[in-house]
Amino acid sequence: MLKRYWKKKPYLPYIAPAMTIMTVLTIFPTVFLYLISVTNYQLGWDLSRVRFVGLENYIRLFSGNDPDFWNAVYISLFFMVVTTAIEMVFGFMIGKLLCDSEFKLKPLVFAILIIPIVMTPSIAGNIWKLMLNSEYGIINHFLGLAGLGKVAWLDADMAFTSVVLADVWQWTPFVALISYAGLCSLPTDQYEAARIDGGNAFQLFRYITLPSLRPLIFLTVIFRTMDSLKIYDMPFVLTQGGPGNSTEFLSLHIYRLANAQNGLIGRAAANAIILMVISTLISKTLIHYQRRENT
Amino acid sequence: MSKRQKQAIGGVARGLVFTVVCLFFIAPYLWMVLISLKPRVDIFEPGKWIFVPTLQNYSNIIKNAHILDYFVNSMAVSVVSTAVSLAIGSLAAYGFARYRWKRREDMAFMVLSQRMLPAMAVVIPYFLMAMAAGLLDTRVILIICYLLFNIPFTILMMRGFFEDIPMEIEDAGKIDGCSGFQVFKELILPLSLPGLTATAIFCLINSWNEFVFANFLTSIRAKTVPTSVMLFLSVSGTKWGEMAATGVLSSLPAIVFGIAVQKYMIRGLTFGAVKG
Repeated sequence: MLKRYWKKKPYLPYIAPAMTIMTVLTIFPTVFLYLISVTNYQLGWDLSRVRFVGLENYIRLFSGNDPDFWNAVYISLFFMVVTTAIEMVFGFMIGKLLCDSEFKLKPLVFAILIIPIVMTPSIAGNIWKLMLNSEYGIINHFLGLAGLGKVAWLDADMAFTSVVLADVWQWTPFVALISYAGLCSLPTDQYEAARIDGGNAFQLFRYITLPSLRPLIFLTVIFRTMDSLKIYDMPFVLTQGGPGNSTEFLSLHIYRLANAQNGLIGRAAANAIILMVISTLISKTLIHYQRRENT
Repeated sequence: MSKRQKQAIGGVARGLVFTVVCLFFIAPYLWMVLISLKPRVDIFEPGKWIFVPTLQNYSNIIKNAHILDYFVNSMAVSVVSTAVSLAIGSLAAYGFARYRWKRREDMAFMVLSQRMLPAMAVVIPYFLMAMAAGLLDTRVILIICYLLFNIPFTILMMRGFFEDIPMEIEDAGKIDGCSGFQVFKELILPLSLPGLTATAIFCLINSWNEFVFANFLTSIRAKTVPTSVMLFLSVSGTKWGEMAATGVLSSLPAIVFGIAVQKYMIRGLTFGAVKG
């Protein structure tokens, strides 16, 4: 009988193992997460103490009793917008420049661009922490040589900027490589025709390059927004969410609630659900637009 | 100014821009290598460019057997998770590449959406389940968690590679009397060896660098390299030299592998969505 069913759906034996594993690995924990989020469970508790608290964990978040949560949401979204914008602009410029120039050392440039992408973020974060150290960091050393004052990079008012800097360092090459591939694959005849018609460089860019690369640009934005929204390792190493909560992104906030010291698993689960909802909403919206552009 | 002069100036300007860009992106890496070779006292003097290089930091971390344990953990977890993902994922990828069904693209989209799932959101249920099953701080739980991103990645990457293989080859195999699965095993897999290698390398790099699950689910026995660098932050101050030496040893394979699969870098970074 099974064999007959397979004949009708020949793809099933191929995809079934992977699909089963993935469903078990995601649907099951997600349902479990929803269940935890409506309890008051804390780490180390007997199961007999666990009570159903309804939406209490969510009400706490939305009634304004939890300013840390709103701060986390706000800086996460702000960080997402800022880093994505900077990385898109600089990455695109580097990609364009690379595509327009021919030189012998080009492979070296590519090799260098790959280094930040594949370097372990937590290790890179530590190196940035050392370089940004206000006493013996190399960056302040150079600022001193240039006659500029020392900057307290990891203090409350600069910590966010420092995380942005480290993220831009790590992910601009990603955008650069993708835009390089996209730009170089554009056919040249359109440009020649437009140039004969008297179009200037800006017009060429605005009316030919941008429209043909729109799907690719969208895709890159989707990847960058999703990754920067869930950023964790870089700020965890660089600032531990501090000073105060100036760099406590949503992921770090969840970790702080759930880790062994606090152990507020129920509340952390509610926060995790919110993070999941925000990232799903944003990715769905962006993908919706990308699909519309494609058709 | 003649056209030639203009071109020359443009070339010099470009060269300058590329130099600045490259310096910015490689500086932290070079600084890490430099720090790992500096004697302890010189680390606190950033301006001291001339110093006697020492391998003291490296011998310290190697003698301190724990670091080697973390490397073994990282390697075991990455390799096993990658192997399982390749076996299961490429099978599914073949199904996606060669067969058509009504909801195929919806399913492929579901696979992609796993990429968007924030690890921090699902790690809490994993933590509780692992605790209940007694799997906390074991390699097994990390291997399972890494399947979460390695399987979808393999499916989407390998689908692209399989689709690049012309249908005629398969038809020829079928005429010779191979069954569907035999065609896959005997013909398609050997042909897509470069793709498999590239996919494996990306899975290895992603697992090697993973931090959220490793940080949440392991503490001592199954600790991996990315979380072990936190150990150098002690009360008596950070052991920067040893941290940097660990960093050099840990990032070297990732960088060598990364540059080796340069050709497939864009495919890999976009989960197979862009065939650069």
